Amino acid sequence: MSNVSFSNVTAKYGKNTIFSNLSLEVKKGEIMCLVGPSGCGKTTLVRCLLGLHRPETGRIAIGDTVLFDAEKRINVPVEKRKIGIVFQDYAVWPHMTVLENVMYPLKKRKYKKEMIKDRAMHALEQVHMTKYESHLPSQLSGGQQQRVAIARALVTGAEVVVMDEPITNLDAKLREEMLLEIRMIQNNLGATILYITHDQQSALELCDRLAVMQLDGKICQVGTDEEIITNPVNRFTFEFIGNSNAIPMVVYENKPCFELETNIPAEGVDIGNENVDGKDMLVRLNDVVFDNSSPIKAEVTSRIFLGSEYNYFLNLYGKEIRLQQSMLDAKNNGIANVGEMVGVKFINPHFYNKLMNKEGK
Amino acid sequence: MFTIDNNAMAAIDGKKRLSMDKILTIVCFILLFIVVIIPIFMIVFNAFFDKNGFSLNLILEQFADKKNLDAMWNTIKIAVFATIFGTIVGVFYAWLLGRSDIPAKGVMRALFNIPYMFPPFLGAMAWELLLNDRSGYLNRFFMTTFGLEKAPLNINSIWGIVFVEVSYYFPFVFMQVVSALERMDPTLEECARIAGAKQSTVIRKITLPLVKPAISAGALLILISSLAHFGVPSILGFRQEIYTLPTRIYAVIYNSGGSFEGIRQGAALSVMLVIVVAIALLIQNRILSAGNYDIIKGKSMRPTLIKLRATKIPLLLLSIFTLFIIVIVPLAMIILISFVKAYGLPLVPENFSFVNYQRVFANKGTIDSIRNSLILSVSAGVISMFLGTLVAYVVQKIKPKGSAVLEVTSMLPYSIPGTVLSIGVILAWSGAIFGITLYNTLWIILVAYIARYLSFSMKTSSASLMQVSSSLEEASRACGASHSESLADITLPLIRPAMVSGFFLIFLPAMREVTTSILLYGPYTRTLGVHIYSLRDAGYIPQAAALAVIAIGLIMVLNIIVTHITKDRKGV
Repeated sequence: MSNVSFSNVTAKYGKNTIFSNLSLEVKKGEIMCLVGPSGCGKTTLVRCLLGLHRPETGRIAIGDTVLFDAEKRINVPVEKRKIGIVFQDYAVWPHMTVLENVMYPLKKRKYKKEMIKDRAMHALEQVHMTKYESHLPSQLSGGQQQRVAIARALVTGAEVVVMDEPITNLDAKLREEMLLEIRMIQNNLGATILYITHDQQSALELCDRLAVMQLDGKICQVGTDEEIITNPVNRFTFEFIGNSNAIPMVVYENKPCFELETNIPAEGVDIGNENVDGKDMLVRLNDVVFDNSSPIKAEVTSRIFLGSEYNYFLNLYGKEIRLQQSMLDAKNNGIANVGEMVGVKFINPHFYNKLMNKEGK
Repeated sequence: MFTIDNNAMAAIDGKKRLSMDKILTIVCFILLFIVVIIPIFMIVFNAFFDKNGFSLNLILEQFADKKNLDAMWNTIKIAVFATIFGTIVGVFYAWLLGRSDIPAKGVMRALFNIPYMFPPFLGAMAWELLLNDRSGYLNRFFMTTFGLEKAPLNINSIWGIVFVEVSYYFPFVFMQVVSALERMDPTLEECARIAGAKQSTVIRKITLPLVKPAISAGALLILISSLAHFGVPSILGFRQEIYTLPTRIYAVIYNSGGSFEGIRQGAALSVMLVIVVAIALLIQNRILSAGNYDIIKGKSMRPTLIKLRATKIPLLLLSIFTLFIIVIVPLAMIILISFVKAYGLPLVPENFSFVNYQRVFANKGTIDSIRNSLILSVSAGVISMFLGTLVAYVVQKIKPKGSAVLEVTSMLPYSIPGTVLSIGVILAWSGAIFGITLYNTLWIILVAYIARYLSFSMKTSSASLMQVSSSLEEASRACGASHSESLADITLPLIRPAMVSGFFLIFLPAMREVTTSILLYGPYTRTLGVHIYSLRDAGYIPQAAALAVIAIGLIMVLNIIVTHITKDRKGV
């Protein structure tokens, strides 16, 4: 039985439709990451779930409890929905101490007085913030405020916790730590987490499953991170989830070719049964590899060392493409120098229609 | 199927939240309607409608009267010159204190703030004692010293009025420009220097254009305040029959003995004044919306100070002289006169005594007026604070249809001259509406004060509410607080400091108010300002001065308390 379910939900701001007939299921106890570019309607979806925005149509439920149903005219008010929320700007109340912030939901949910403090301290313990209990939020760093917000969202033991871009304001190292911690907390409590972000990297690190939302508000694919990376349903998902090269294709003299300065036969590219004429070939950076036996040649224009891999910029008949070489490969086969002509091979190619206008990445 | 509990049923369609918002919105509309719309409507109605329906006769009669046209012309002349000179003085000192290395900045800044607290009509009183053409102390001194036959200076003139208004209104520009200069990113100027511009070029081409919005905002504030100003022209102008529109309105009503015809005539004149002010406001809108504030950061940075070198001492002397003239001289004069046994006696120690203070306090009216002013300022402060915050909340957070109307309505009385507002209030609450008669009671003054000062608290609360991210309230709703609970637990505590400073922004000017109350007071409802004004009018000048000293002392003490309270408030 799924825990959080959206069925056929349509949301509008005035005349502006954010998404229509959206359906999404979040399973009990999983971390579901909802990813999509800024402005695609992720936050609106969260606001609908919390009851801060009233959808036009559809039904939202947690387990058997209906939170919203347009047909049955049910709309449970925000405070009765019992969903934990961590806002992007933390929304830690600046006039209350850390402990008061965390105790507030317990007070409002009418917990017994003697229990309140213990529970709040326990929640603070989980986010390693006990020693800051009497600090005001203004005395805390962004990361610490973040933890307070998480503790506050978890303290009542809400079954569902929503996190809306909670770590975008943190520095890289802290981000890593917080992701691990969210994972740990989820393991301990078993809460269902709906995690919203536009940053696919952190989504991949954290999620059990991913839902990819397009700019027009459609959810185009739901699945595990592996599924989505290896088997993206469309060009948008492919390009959103990682960096890639796009090379235009054409069929010339009955042979599939790259449509570059001249038409270069796409030898060694596994096309399968695809009709590639007029399409783009998309390849991930680490699926472009050096292979001097390949007839497809390119010139190295620059090389950047990234710590765990090398990034190359190659000139393929007037088109700039990128290639990623792992350290292992570099050690075994050596690195290529700027100016060198190298043979390249494309593995795992995906073929998609050309973009009508410049959108996405 | 679905399990629906009772709470969910009760909350179908989110009615709960909507109703709370709706109630606040409706309350807001009703209160603003009573406080603002009715008086304004009454003026328009009485000016344009008589027994026979719509008629322009009354207005045209006013325009045909040369006295009124003279008054209008004077109003404009005084306002324009006060604005020009006030702006020059304000910008010059703002630059001197904000950007140069002139010494004793702290002291000078504190002194420059005094005109802000000092009621201008007291300043006019002091200057009249010094420079009226017959018995002014300074004039007599000049005449005896230089053997002149005529008084060299006459404060009872258009230029005298302009001079006194400038000395009380230039802080509008000064304060705006100083804060703009302080918030300006100094790298903007440094870049120009690096690019090869001379210091003088930087001031002309970079600094001045950047603070231009602040200058025009301050200048237009002077223009509009001066157009509506009553105190100074009434103290200095009546003797020479120099009238401005606000004083003319007062004179018309006063001479008619408060009859309905007089008040109607006042209403027609008010329309004239409102037209003049409205034109000024249109100009203001035009100019301010063209201004670009983006380059000025909210963050405070340390600007580079410009070395004055050889001009330092002359400029310092000039500043000291200016401060001496606009701050020390009137204050000292009022204090000295308050001790002199009878007006006109030389200011020598033998003629000094405390008798004026004794007389003033023996006068029952004095205690009454202080009590009235305190009651009025505190209650107007509290009521306007809550009403202003309510309007700000509705406009900022609930954003109902017509929130723009609400905002404009609450700001309207701010642009309407106090004299005009009083007439509206008289017309509305002298039995015209549901037979409610508040005339001659404190209530009528209170209603006028609330309308007049509403925008002050609405502005501060609004600015503060803008800082309170809506996610703070949403977070508390998600934590299980109802809408009203999250208002009480989150939003109100966060904007409390702004509400408190909104209260004092109303309380302080209300304490020294004279423009509105002079038309509204009754035998037992004199305010402090009115009492000083009428003591002076009746010729008890030293007693008026004694009461003025008490009033100034009171205002200063309160002001110190206020700055103390608002200083150590917790930042949001």
